[in-house]
Amino acid sequence: MLSFILRRLAIAIPTILLIITLSFVLMHAAPGGPFSAERNLPPEVLANIEQRYGLDKPLYQQIFVYVSGIVTEFDFGPSFKYKNQSVNDLIASGFPVTLVYGFWSFVCASVLGISLGVIAALKHNSWLDYAATGSAILGSVLPNFVMAPLLVLLFTVYLNWLPGGGWEGGQIQFIIMPVIALATSYLAGITRITRSSMLEVLGSNFIRSARAKGLPAHHIILRHALKPALLPVLTSLGLSFVGMITGSVVIDQYFSTGGIGQHFVNAALNRDYSVIMGVTILVGSLTILFNLLVEILYAWIDPRIRY
Amino acid sequence: MKIFTSLKLLFLASVLLATACPSSATVATHPSSGEKLAAQQVFTYRMGAEPPSIDPQLVEDVEGSAVARDLFEGLLTQKADGSLAPGVAERWELNPAKTIYTFHLRKNARWSNGEPVTAHDFVYAWRRAVDPKLASPYAGYLELTTLKNVSAVIRGEMPTTALGVSAIDDYTLQAELDAPLAYFPTMLVHSTTMPTPQKVIEQYGDSWSRPNHLVGNGAYVLTEHVLNERMVRVRNPLYWNNQNTILDKVIGLIIDDESQAYNRYQANELDKTEVPTGQFKRLQKERPAETFSSPRLCSYYYMFNLDKAPFDDQRVRQALSYAIDRDIITNNILGAGQIPAYTFTPGSTANFSVPEVALASMSRNDRIKTAKALLAEAGFGPSRPLKTTIFYNTSEGHKKIAIAISQMWKQRLGVQVTLQNQEWKTFLSTRGAGDFEIARGAWCGDYNEASTFLDLMRSGSDQNDMRYKNARIDQLLAEAKTLADPNPNYAQIEQIVATEAPIIPIYHYTGVMLLKPYVKGWPHQNVEANWYSREMYITEH
Repeated sequence: MLSFILRRLAIAIPTILLIITLSFVLMHAAPGGPFSAERNLPPEVLANIEQRYGLDKPLYQQIFVYVSGIVTEFDFGPSFKYKNQSVNDLIASGFPVTLVYGFWSFVCASVLGISLGVIAALKHNSWLDYAATGSAILGSVLPNFVMAPLLVLLFTVYLNWLPGGGWEGGQIQFIIMPVIALATSYLAGITRITRSSMLEVLGSNFIRSARAKGLPAHHIILRHALKPALLPVLTSLGLSFVGMITGSVVIDQYFSTGGIGQHFVNAALNRDYSVIMGVTILVGSLTILFNLLVEILYAWIDPRIRY
Repeated sequence: MKIFTSLKLLFLASVLLATACPSSATVATHPSSGEKLAAQQVFTYRMGAEPPSIDPQLVEDVEGSAVARDLFEGLLTQKADGSLAPGVAERWELNPAKTIYTFHLRKNARWSNGEPVTAHDFVYAWRRAVDPKLASPYAGYLELTTLKNVSAVIRGEMPTTALGVSAIDDYTLQAELDAPLAYFPTMLVHSTTMPTPQKVIEQYGDSWSRPNHLVGNGAYVLTEHVLNERMVRVRNPLYWNNQNTILDKVIGLIIDDESQAYNRYQANELDKTEVPTGQFKRLQKERPAETFSSPRLCSYYYMFNLDKAPFDDQRVRQALSYAIDRDIITNNILGAGQIPAYTFTPGSTANFSVPEVALASMSRNDRIKTAKALLAEAGFGPSRPLKTTIFYNTSEGHKKIAIAISQMWKQRLGVQVTLQNQEWKTFLSTRGAGDFEIARGAWCGDYNEASTFLDLMRSGSDQNDMRYKNARIDQLLAEAKTLADPNPNYAQIEQIVATEAPIIPIYHYTGVMLLKPYVKGWPHQNVEANWYSREMYITEH
């Protein structure tokens, strides 16, 4: 097991380097630059700015300087857009925010999704099944950018229960709507995978023999069926978790949370090269890390899997 | 050291008490209007985006400028109507050759750390603005002032000390220009020319503009800044005119989505926000006392690429300009009081009187008839229709206008138009490279004088994406800088632009906003929308 983990981590380094190089090249291939605006800069001013940010050097040198900055000082460079912020600052201020609402969204989405999926599978093709899958799908056909305004209209404008946005250090009333809006978009996926995988397990031989032995229903479901049924769910949960804790541009912008989700889209639109790289590396590393964790969990859940 | 710090704190606290107490105890009514004031003098407004910087020499957007105007004070400021008011400079003199300005600074101006604001602070700030090492995107602004040696300093050919600004003594500042520039004082309202504290910047580097480091000389100090969430400033007890400040606290909430901002305005979380696109007429009916529309120093236009045939033909450009009904666009598509544009410079620009251009006074039928004739003369007609593409950056608003204009051209002139939208930066790159025939443009004045617009028509201007060249315009512009009344020159330039049509002016912007009725002192007449929190107050509600 330990050698498996070490092997995986060793592969992670070239993977991340590949991600860096690819993103770097793609990013520079996109037309326009970080300093183009409605107001064209005088060429001498633009030259000074490009020199300050090292954009006057050839691309391979820029990548080298960038990577060595990360390796030697863990410095992801200055933001090209926000003049007094480094990428480290942006991640340090935004990631804790998305981590909080992302974590709670994950808890809500997985607990609710798995429960709905199990209920739907147990009461297969009954009204309960339709109600459970139907409500989960309803949650995800309403995308974030529809769900968020609906929530605000209801809870802020009409009921006046919750503040319409802001974060204020993460007080509970500021977290509720972002969590609902984010969790519902993942709910249907989790419910459907749980349902189909549970149905498959419930039809398998070892469950039939458990039933034949006369074990009580809750015992069969919780002790025997749930664990193997959760394996495919786990794969999708690992990736969903990374998706949720890195936030969402809609949630961050709509609720003014200050999270890092918005940087994924905005940095690309602004051509804020160093921020694009920073968030890409963050998501890349988290994805690799959680995929590894999921694989370790597999071995723990399913005794047949050994590395 | 510790004792010193606590003494300093004690001093600060006593100043705070001395200045804050009498005002909060006695100012229950407004000193001049007599209105009853609210106990809580807090103003919360929407910021459309996180400003890239609030460092005066680096500020590049509207939101950042508003914050900088509260935290710093330049030589001159503006009254509610946009006219000049003394800031740190109490008065100034001009030499007979009109190239040397001598500013006399007030002796009671203080930095928020208690140190006096001197002429040296301005010298430092102006040199900093053009320093290649700082690489400010607004270095070009100082180039427009024609300060002595400014271009050479920006290009790194001369040291920053060669810049034409010097401190005669602590309270006398001298600015030397290459040539007379009548509107030079007007340009000093801009944040690029505000003073900055050398010691603090040298101590903290790029992070000097964060709340715990920032030292300013404005009416407010920055107390909180959460990236992409909020920016809070509270009154500065050391500001020289603090006794006349009423508003205690200003909170800017960063809300990207305008309809979400409107929701939060409805929920009383905001005192001011913009009117969401397309909702002006409805809100004006529903909330007449809170909905405002006022002219802005901005123009929306289409530009031709004069290097590309057939747009090198004046007749083609004129025909297309004549065939557009500006009033249909302003009334039916925009509907928030925007002003149809027949000249590039908005009529709201200070000391500018809009010249009578032929196009503006013609009837619709005459315009269309002329347009048809011009296009036929240029060799286009039903048998050989003109085909072209309108480029614009992706946005619902731009799309609507492009559709309307393409329909007008099609129905009236038989022009076959393709619409092409591009993501913002891609659009800028396409337009800058000249890969277009017709493209959308917008321009807002940097200072309140017609040259900030007309300079775009100069041959070789950085902003001249049309590749338009007219020697007469270049000459008129150069001349205008030295004239006491440059208006006749500006009128001539507008006439030439109307005739040669390198651009099609479409409309002049208005600022549309919702402001709670208890917020007073907003400068609605200021076309640059330069607002100062120190002029505002909250009445009892």
